[in-house]
Order: sequence, then C-alpha cells, then structure tokens
Amino acid sequence: MKIILIFLTLIHLSWGADATLEVVKGVEGLSPLAIEDSSLQTSELSRKFTQMLAADMNVVSLFSVDESYASVPFNSLTTSPLHKEAQYLLRYRLLDDGAGGTRADIKLLQNGNELFQKSYILKQSEMAVFLSHSIAYDINAKLGGTPIDWIKRKVLFVRLTSPRHSEIVVSDYTLSYQKVILTGGMYGFAKWANREQSELYYTSLADFKPTIYRMNLQSGKKEKIISSDGMAVCSDVSEDSKNLLLTLAPNGQPDVYLYDLTSGTKTQITNYSGIDVNGQFMGDGSIAFVSNRLGYPNVFSTRVNSSAVSQLVYQGKNNSSLSAYKNLLVYKARETSATFAGNAFNLHLLSLNTGNVKRLTASGENDFPKFSPDGEAILYIKQEGPRSSIGVIRFGVNKSFVFPLRIGRIQSIDW
Amino acid sequence: MMKKVAFLSATVAMLILSGCSSKEPAIDATANVNGTSVGTNGAGSNAVIAPVTNANANDSANAGANGVNGSDGQLVSILFDYDKFDIRADMQDAMTKNALLVKSKSIKLEGNCDEFGSDEYNFALGLKRANAVKSALVNSGVNADAISMSSLGESNPVCLEKTQECWAKNRRVDFKLP
Repeated sequence: MKIILIFLTLIHLSWGADATLEVVKGVEGLSPLAIEDSSLQTSELSRKFTQMLAADMNVVSLFSVDESYASVPFNSLTTSPLHKEAQYLLRYRLLDDGAGGTRADIKLLQNGNELFQKSYILKQSEMAVFLSHSIAYDINAKLGGTPIDWIKRKVLFVRLTSPRHSEIVVSDYTLSYQKVILTGGMYGFAKWANREQSELYYTSLADFKPTIYRMNLQSGKKEKIISSDGMAVCSDVSEDSKNLLLTLAPNGQPDVYLYDLTSGTKTQITNYSGIDVNGQFMGDGSIAFVSNRLGYPNVFSTRVNSSAVSQLVYQGKNNSSLSAYKNLLVYKARETSATFAGNAFNLHLLSLNTGNVKRLTASGENDFPKFSPDGEAILYIKQEGPRSSIGVIRFGVNKSFVFPLRIGRIQSIDW
Repeated sequence: MMKKVAFLSATVAMLILSGCSSKEPAIDATANVNGTSVGTNGAGSNAVIAPVTNANANDSANAGANGVNGSDGQLVSILFDYDKFDIRADMQDAMTKNALLVKSKSIKLEGNCDEFGSDEYNFALGLKRANAVKSALVNSGVNADAISMSSLGESNPVCLEKTQECWAKNRRVDFKLP
C-alpha cells in the first residue's frame, strides 16, 4: 500500500512540477484589498497613483482589489467607510523629497496590523508607474507570491505609424509610460542587448541593405553590427549578452546565424533552400528556430556545427513564431485554413520535458510571444483590426492581461 | 483490503491524469474572466503619460493608401498569393516588361506582405518573393550584381483597408530605382 501511495505521490508531483499543468486557486479565494491615499496634499498624481497601484495589485493576483479612491491619514487607526470590508489595506503618501523628486512612503496592513512598510524616491514624476510596479513587486515578494521580476522591466517595441515610417518606443508593461527613443526612419525587431536594458539592437530597413545596429540608451550612440542583403534581424541575445542569433540572407536565402560579439565572427547554423528564421537559445545548448522545410512553418531545433535537425512541435500546421525559455517553448499557431476572415492565431505553451501543450489564448490574432527573462510570464502582441495591444500571460497562475496601444500598430516587442 | 486500496488508488490516478489532459483553453486573453483590469487607466486610455509623438496621419507616404502601384517609373509591382512566393501566371507579362525596363540599370527589389503576422517568418516570405523576382530577372538577362533586395514585411502597405482586395495588393514586390 505504501508503495502505491508513494507512486501516486510521485506521479502527482512530477505532473505538478510541469508549468503547463499547474493548478491554481480561483479568484473567489482571494482576500479583499483596498488602497488609500495618505498624501498630505492630494494631487492629480496622488489620485492617479491609486489607479496604478490597483492595476498592479490586480496583476499580482493575490488580492481581490477594491479600486475606489479614498484619502485617509497614513497612521489613522480607522479605514475609509468605503473600505470597511477590506482585509488588507495599502496606504501610500507622496511628498516632495526636497531634491526635486518625490518620496513615497507605503505600508501594508492586514486587519489593522502592519505587515510591511517601505519608502521610495522617485526622481522623475513621469516614471510614477514604475514606482507602482516596484511597490507591487515588493508586496508580492513579502507575501511569498509567484515571482514577478518582469513587472519592473522596461518593454521595448517598434510602432508602425504610417507606411515606411516607424519608431522605437520604451514603455512599462501596461503602456502607461511611453517614451519614443528613435524616430524618423523605418525600424524593426528592436531587442534589449543586455539584462540591464542599457542597450538595444534594432534593424534599420531604410538603409541600402537591412542593417542591425546597437544603440546605447543613455548616450544615444549607435554602432553598426552587421548588414545583409534582403534581411537582417537580431532574433535572440544569449544570457551572457555575448552571442546573438541572427537571421541573415546574404544570397537571398534566410538562414539562422550565430554571431560572436567578442570576435565579430558569424557561424551559419541552418542551411536550407526555403525559410529558416527566428533562432532562439534553448536551455540545453541547442537552438530552436522556425522553418518551412516540411512545406509549412513549424518549430525545429539543431546545434552549432551539426546538420541534424529535430522537429519540436507536432501540433498545428502553421507555427510561425516562437520564444524559448529553458525547456519551455511558446509558439504562435494558425488555427484554421481560412486565409483571412475569422482566422485565429493563438499562442501555445509546450513543455519539452513532458510534451504537454497548453493553449494560452482563445481567439484573435496573437503574435510575437516573448518569455520574460525569468520565464514566469509571456509578453505578446494582440492585433484587433487597426489596434494593437500588449498582452501579458502569467501562465503559472492562469492569468492574462491586455493593455491597448492608442496610436499605431506594434511590429515587434521585447522585455 | 489490499485489493480495494489498489483499485481506489488506480481510480484516483485515472482521475488525476484525465483532469490534467483537458483540451479546454486554460487562459483566455480576451475574456479577462477573472475581472482583471485592462490598462491602468481604464480601457482605451493608456495615457497616464501621453505618447510623445503622434502618428503621421498626414504624411505624404499615405498617398498610396488605396492601393496604387508601389514601384518607381513605369515599372509594375508583382503581386503574390497568400503565403506563397512563386510568380503567378498572370504576372508573367508584367515581369517581361519590367525585365526590359531594368536591363541595364541597378534596381532594388522590396518584398512586402499583408498585415497578418509581423514576425520574422512574414519578413522572410517578403524576401522569398523578392528573390523569386530576382531569379526571373536574372533568367531574362539582367545582371544579378545590379539587383539588391530588402524585405519590409508589413511595414509598407499600399492599401490600408481591411479587405481581401487590399491585402492582395500588399502582397507584392516593388521595383525601386536608385
């Protein structure tokens, strides 16, 4: 009997450890949380800060968030009448730090007892939403929630503004903060060059040949990396930022190349007369990529200096983009054979350990999936007619969030 | 007793396994069934801080928004079928005329796609279209070294309407003179 029970426990644990099969508590079990503005002089910013925190605390997914606004003194022993049902209270006060910035004091109370208190300095008021993200990150960490390191990261995207015109934008994951960092050209495939997000790669399509540049965000200095007739894309950056996977097409044939930034040498990884693109570093040292070598786009893998190619995805007949994190793949699949109207492109999560596939989106055009550096969330583009949105999927806690872009169409995205 | 426990355990195991293999989508990005918010500032308004620049609504590049020819001079853009990069039979005449017009010139071929997918594969499709046109030009006697190529993916539509006809006009290769 003991052996059977141990066997069952092992089955359960091994399946439970697979990210695609994680079972999650529903919203009905969440504790009510309210947010209160304790600023001595409330302002437009301090009132908006409630909305920012409410949005972030929803994304944290540990609470049922009451989004009503109330102003209550920081050390008051009573709550606003609006928040009598709240089990958790998040209070903040914004004040001038005397050096041109804003100081934010926050405290989290549970049934009147202080759980957490911290102070922050915000140097640029337009970055207030990042302060909100940091507070959400700290509260989530304090309460032992699933890691959300990605919440503080900057999102990088290319926005198509009109034919032959695009710009590169840095934003937060909700698109509340947006800053155009490059405009006046035709750009594509912007990607962070390092974990610190101090530099980025992008393709200039306005050059005589498509050219990949590296740009320093602080100095604005641009450096040419490589150009290729037809196509030049930085598809992935290695964890140590020293190697790139590129798609180049020196003879009109798009193939995947490994580019060593230290030596400046490139190694051709794939060699096929059709289409090989979208190389991604995998956790086991192999390289995943999209190829139409079976007559339709699908996901395959290979290794440096090896001609052997393995098919990774056995579901769907049109899997044309992917992102990889260790042994997880997320890929886009076209659901129907209809060419346009009613067509759906959905994202799927594949665990290479178990072969299990989980569909992450249900309808619409979902494109450009990208794992966060910690593998806990997936960023993607959702296209709805002329409108683009940024989507975030926390597959570990079965939650997804969509944030619409007001102007333009998103071509590519990274975080 | 032992048999009963074994049977019960097997039943539990089957329930666990069948529960895990559900085909239903676990997450619906559009529905937000759990009441999660859209944007920090309500749906449709993500401007706690407004975007720094606006779209170039009056840009001259929009002149071709209804689907005019995207090529220079008397050259004619070559159109392609969805997800295809072989030159259609009805485009052969245009290819022949274009080949005569560019025979002693340098030419840049720009591959373009419809708006379905902004990923690398779509760009590669645009490139393969340009490469198919290049091969046809070389077979007609045009010097291969005089031809350069670039794929612009979905970033250079000549038609901005949401119709089959419009998308068909965007799946094309443009001939650009230096």
